Amino acid sequence: MTTTDTPAVRVVPVRHYGRWLTALVVAGLAALFLRALLTSPNLEPGTVAHYLFQDYVLDGVLTTLWLTLLAMVLGTAGGILLAVLRLSDNPVLRGVSWTFIWVFRGTPLLVQIIFFGFLGALFPRITLSVPFTGTVLFDRPTSVVVTGTVAAVLALSLNEMAYAAEVIRGGILAVDGGQTEAAAALGMSPTLTLRRVVLPQAMRVIIPPMGNETITMLKSTALVSIIAGRDLMTAVQSVYQNNYKVIPLLVVAAIWYLALVSLLSAGQWLVERRFGRGFARGGVR
Amino acid sequence: MTAMVRAEGVTKRFGPVEVLKGIDLTVAPGEVACLLGPSGSGKSTFLRCVNHLERIDGGQLSVDGELVGYRRQGDRLYELKAREVAVRRRDIGMVFQRFNLFPHLTALGNVTEAPVRVLRTPRAQAREEALRLLDRVGLADRAHHYPSQLSGGQQQRVAIARAMAMRPKLMLFDEPTSALDPELVGEVLDVMKGLAADGMTMVVVTHEMGFAREVADQVAFLDDGVVVEVGPPDEVLGRPRHERTRAFLDKVL
Repeated sequence: MTTTDTPAVRVVPVRHYGRWLTALVVAGLAALFLRALLTSPNLEPGTVAHYLFQDYVLDGVLTTLWLTLLAMVLGTAGGILLAVLRLSDNPVLRGVSWTFIWVFRGTPLLVQIIFFGFLGALFPRITLSVPFTGTVLFDRPTSVVVTGTVAAVLALSLNEMAYAAEVIRGGILAVDGGQTEAAAALGMSPTLTLRRVVLPQAMRVIIPPMGNETITMLKSTALVSIIAGRDLMTAVQSVYQNNYKVIPLLVVAAIWYLALVSLLSAGQWLVERRFGRGFARGGVR
Repeated sequence: MTAMVRAEGVTKRFGPVEVLKGIDLTVAPGEVACLLGPSGSGKSTFLRCVNHLERIDGGQLSVDGELVGYRRQGDRLYELKAREVAVRRRDIGMVFQRFNLFPHLTALGNVTEAPVRVLRTPRAQAREEALRLLDRVGLADRAHHYPSQLSGGQQQRVAIARAMAMRPKLMLFDEPTSALDPELVGEVLDVMKGLAADGMTMVVVTHEMGFAREVADQVAFLDDGVVVEVGPPDEVLGRPRHERTRAFLDKVL
C-alpha cells in the first residue's frame, strides 16, 4: 500500500443560513399575496370560469391568433425586404429603408393603429388609375376598404416590418464574410448565396429575437381594441363595459394570453433546435 | 497552347496602399505553381484576384484565355455583372485558409450544394459524385458529419472535395494548411499531391517549402507586390539569385 493512512474526515458543506432565511421570507410574502388574491370577493373564480369558454371570447382568441400570425408573416417578409434594401449598394434604396424604419420605430404603435383606423380622414378615397388615360381601375371610399380589421393588420404588420428588418439585418451581418466568399468561389450568384448560405445561418441569430417579437406581437394585438379590432381584448372589454365585472374578465384575457404565449415559447424552442443544427453548442443531436 | 493563368502587369491598391505593383505570371495547363513570400507580399491578394474576389486596378489577368471580371468588345473593357462573374467562377475552385465550410450543412451537403444549385446536376447524381470525392479525400465515413464535428484537417479535405465537385479546370489554394495543427498538415498536403498527380492545374499560396520543392513545377517568390524571382523549385529554393529570396529562405528553412 502506498496510500497514506489518513483518519476518516467528515466534509461539511458551507451552510447557507442567509439563503435559507431569504427563501423563507420570500415564500411567506408570496403566500400572503396569493391569499389576498384568492380570498378577494372581487376575483370571482366562478365568473372567470363562466366567461373563459364563451363563444365570443373564443372568437376573440381566434382573431388575436390570426392577427398575430398574419402580422408576423407580413412583418417578416417585409422585414427581409427592408433588411436587404438597407444593405444594398443603392443609396436611394438604403435611404428609403432607413426612413421607413425610422418612422415606424419612432412612433408609438398605438398612434399608428389609431392613424390607420382613421385613414379615411387623410385620404377620403382610394383610387387606382392608369396614368394619362383617365381609365379608373379602382375607386372606393377609404372607410369601406380599410375596415377596423384591415387597419389593425396594416398597422401591426408595418410596425413589425421595421423591427423585423433590424433583427434580420443584424442576423445577416453576423454571418462570417468567409461564407459569402466561399459561396462566390463556387459560382453561386448573390441571390442564391443569400438564400442558401447567408439566411439559413442568419436564422440561428434571428430566431430568438423574432420569438420575442412574436410574443410581443400577440400582446400588442390587444391595442387594436381601440379601433374595435374584434380581438380577445375587444371581446372582454365589450363584456365588462356592460356588466362592470372588470377584474374577472381581465383575468379571463390574462389566462388566454398566458396560455398562448406558453404555446409560442414551446414552438420557439423547437424552431431554435432545428436551426441550431451543425453548431456544436446545443445544436447537434 | 493557351495559358491557364496569364497575368501581365497586374496592379491592385487598397486605398493609398499599392499591394500589387505589376505582377507577371504564367501558369500552363496541368502545372502546379507555388507562390511564396513574406506576409504582406501580396501573394494572397493576387490569388484572390484570379477569381475576381478582388478587382484588379491595372494590367491584365486572364484564365484559360478569358479576361477575369471583364468582357472585351472592340477596344473597350466592360466590367461583368455579379451574375456573369459567378458563371466564370464555376470553372475555378478555391480552398481557403480558414476552410469556410457551410456550418449548417453536413460534409455531403457542402459538397453537393453547388453542383445541385448552380450546375443543376440531378440530386442523386451529385450525391454519388460527392460520395466518390469524399472517399477520395479519405472521408467516406464522415459524409453525414457537420463541420463542427470534424477536425481542421478533415474540414479542409471536405473543402477540397467541395471545390472539386464543380469539376474546375483550375484550383486556387490560399494557405490551405496555415490554420492547421502541425500533425494535421500532412493529410491535407497528401490530398493536394494526389490532385497534382492527376494533372490538375493548381496555384498554391503556401509556406510549406517541402510541398513546393516536391510538387511545384514553378515557384514564384513575391515580395512587396512584385514577383522577385520565378522558376523551377530547385532553382528558386536551391540556388536563389536574389538577395531578398535568400533572406526569406534563410528565415523559413
